[in-house]
Amino acid sequence: MRRMHFIGRLLGLAAGGLGVAAPQADSAVGGLPGPASHADSSPEWESLRDRLFPSRPVSATPGVVQIVAPLRAAYGASVPIKILSNLPQTPGLYVKRLTLVVDKNPSPVAAVLDLTLEVGQADFETRIRVDEYSHVRVIAELSNGQLHMDSRYVKTSGGCSAPPNRDALNLLGKTLLKLPEPVTMNRPTTADVTVLHPNDTGFELNQVTVMYIPAHFVRSIKVSFADRKVFDADLDFSISENPTLRFNFVPHGRGELKAEVEDSKDGHWTGTLAVL
Amino acid sequence: MRRYRVFCRVFCRVFCLALCLATLAPGATAAGIPAPYAALVIQPAGMPARYEFDLSAALARARRENKRLYVYLGASDCPYCRKYEAFLDQNAQELVPQFRPQYIVVDLRSALSVSANQLYIRIGDRSLAYADFQRSIGDERARMLVYPSVWLLDAYARPLMQMPAGTGTFQTVPEQLEILRLEQ
Repeated sequence: MRRMHFIGRLLGLAAGGLGVAAPQADSAVGGLPGPASHADSSPEWESLRDRLFPSRPVSATPGVVQIVAPLRAAYGASVPIKILSNLPQTPGLYVKRLTLVVDKNPSPVAAVLDLTLEVGQADFETRIRVDEYSHVRVIAELSNGQLHMDSRYVKTSGGCSAPPNRDALNLLGKTLLKLPEPVTMNRPTTADVTVLHPNDTGFELNQVTVMYIPAHFVRSIKVSFADRKVFDADLDFSISENPTLRFNFVPHGRGELKAEVEDSKDGHWTGTLAVL
Repeated sequence: MRRYRVFCRVFCRVFCLALCLATLAPGATAAGIPAPYAALVIQPAGMPARYEFDLSAALARARRENKRLYVYLGASDCPYCRKYEAFLDQNAQELVPQFRPQYIVVDLRSALSVSANQLYIRIGDRSLAYADFQRSIGDERARMLVYPSVWLLDAYARPLMQMPAGTGTFQTVPEQLEILRLEQ
């Protein structure tokens, strides 16, 4: 009888082991947000829209402005974003301002770009941090006051707490301008401006001190060509480390492309490039 | 006594069967892509100096069968790998028919202790360390090796789309299907 009891316990353990080893989950692993479409709104956006553009209609009709972003990015700390405008910058009608928003980021307004006709074509590229599954949207304000929006849903997370590369802090603020393509006179010419800066968010934990590393990020980049304003960018830590903007400008002759940079600790730097 | 011996024999068979079932059960802790996916398992070579995974045979098979590769890099001691594998296992009935016509699943068996500079990918006579391999195919994940990782490659080792680090963003059936459909 005692032997039978022992055998029974063994069988019970085996059966129990099988039960433990084979849990059947009711839902998928992860507990991440449910499906969302690219054009959806969000409570964060509804609240922000009222503050940014009070009582003004924001058209989501496709055509005027487009945002290109991956559904899933390699890293949440470096999500490539492209803003495409389908409107040439003409005195009659042009894109006056672009606002880049990441709905669910701790500081959702990533960038406000104040543009002039000197941009030629209001297309921009940059990389942003996305902290959790979120819509990323661009709102274009035209010179006639109209607001047009496009949005994409991006599935990534952890962008605001990921550690940036701090290998070259001695170069902090160094501002580099380059022309990836040949210059075309009197036509929109593409240029890149990069500021070497960790763009600290304030949400990264120092693993040694267990203290949050204070926010320290590029606040603004003002770009001019031959002393004429091309655009001013008000930026936030939602822009990835080493903030980079790809933009257009229209050269009408030789001149100096200049970027004046200011960060959140009153650091000032200037980068220049002679355009021949 | 004879009845007791018979009972013991029956017990041993039942017990062994139960243990085998426990090992094969869904959600079991054994590392790797679950059996229903018929993954091509690749063990590392060249240890301990390097952990080199040779994709040549998998690519040759992909060319023969006109399929793509779903290359999964897992680590034997990585909880997130177990989560993804358990997800695949629990949803095999739904997912395997979606994988099978298009993809050959390739299961690279690594460990968390294998860092980016020890992990090599070989294709033919060319063997590249993780970051160099990533750069060579234009993958943005060169900066950091994350377990688990997935690559979607065509039969000539060209990436079909940029994949995210980790698998957390496609651990639901609809999201896994988005990946298989190459939705970007």
